[in-house]
Amino acid sequence: MPAFVTFWGTRGAIPTPASWTRVYGGNTSCVEIRFDDTLFVCDAGSGIRELGKDLARRNPPPKTLHLLLSHTHWDHIQGFPFFAPVYMPDMRIHVYGQRAEDNRACGVLSGQMNEEFFPVSFKELGARIVADHLHDGRRLIGGVEVSSFPLNHPGGCFGYSFVKDGRKIVYSTDNELEIQPGEMFPDLRNTGPLRRMPEALLQAVQGADLLILDAQYDEQEYVTKKKWGHSSCFSATDLAIQAGVKNLALFHHDPECTDRAVDDKVESCRQRAARFGSPLSIRAAREGVELKF
Amino acid sequence: MDNDRPEPNESTEINQTRVGISLRTLRRERLRRRHILEQIQGDGPAGQIALDQEEMVIGRADDAQIRLSSKNASRHHVFFRLRGTDCVMVDNDSHNGVLLNGVKVHSAVLRDGDVIHVADSVFVYLEE
Repeated sequence: MPAFVTFWGTRGAIPTPASWTRVYGGNTSCVEIRFDDTLFVCDAGSGIRELGKDLARRNPPPKTLHLLLSHTHWDHIQGFPFFAPVYMPDMRIHVYGQRAEDNRACGVLSGQMNEEFFPVSFKELGARIVADHLHDGRRLIGGVEVSSFPLNHPGGCFGYSFVKDGRKIVYSTDNELEIQPGEMFPDLRNTGPLRRMPEALLQAVQGADLLILDAQYDEQEYVTKKKWGHSSCFSATDLAIQAGVKNLALFHHDPECTDRAVDDKVESCRQRAARFGSPLSIRAAREGVELKF
Repeated sequence: MDNDRPEPNESTEINQTRVGISLRTLRRERLRRRHILEQIQGDGPAGQIALDQEEMVIGRADDAQIRLSSKNASRHHVFFRLRGTDCVMVDNDSHNGVLLNGVKVHSAVLRDGDVIHVADSVFVYLEE
């Protein structure tokens, strides 16, 4: 059975509804990954609201889903109180920590529904919210091997890989691929060599059919955004090339990034991959697009 | 028409333009969006095709609204479905797939200017 990936929110930092974000979307991070009947939701940014509406239209609507948060910064949790399935009594939502007794994700989702922030409390939700966990970063869920790996982001962050029947989908957002000493940066003319990547990260994303990867900035933007926890699109491309990834989706678009600027980033990354003779297919993650693998 | 009558609680609002057209009617028109496919390459009908039915299909089959003769096209290759004010394109598990702006997708909410490859044909999606 194929895997399906749907982008419900692709923007970073803050929802950005605007005429110039109409193509790639203004909702913050939320990606649905589906293997057969097993439904994973990566992050609960504002895009999760539209996912909730779509789930209700499906026949039959799913009764169980698995929510994996990369981290709990606002743009990755703010949609949760507006996710219609949390109000449905016959719904079961597993929220995963990294290990046993790691209930932080559930705790933060609950905390943002305190009366100071939201009129409905977490305890009043109709769905059964299960504080679940991986086993030290790994777990077989619905026949899918789920693994987490640490990312480089202020406060900590995790990426997730999903593997079943030889298909591998990786969700890796909010990660800064730092420029190493001696590397060409900014590589505005796209003439420099591939950048060195952390070995553990290369292994985590190795051979992915789809890598959804933080590429918030272009080379020029990253000059002033170092240590903000996000990557240049050239660094993202270099990681995907060296890891033998088949398809790369540039993700977590900057709130200032227009649709045209996203197109420009994609084009420059394609030129970079072509320069190294890589068969890597590159696109920008776009709200409302579903991929099949 | 009833729909054009100002409602009692709107009496203090401006409900008509200077040429007498109901603002409410104008707003309804704004919510309607015309979805158009313009074929720019390949066989099949030339020019613009209005996607004005709830569901339309491109393919080789006789009952396809937009027929292609290419052997690279599946019988019912790709569907276009209206959903609210959007038009959604769905690959019907076709043999050769569908490209949106040069990359393969299974389905997508279309946006003005999208370029769609189906078999040997190329279409541009337009919103009016």
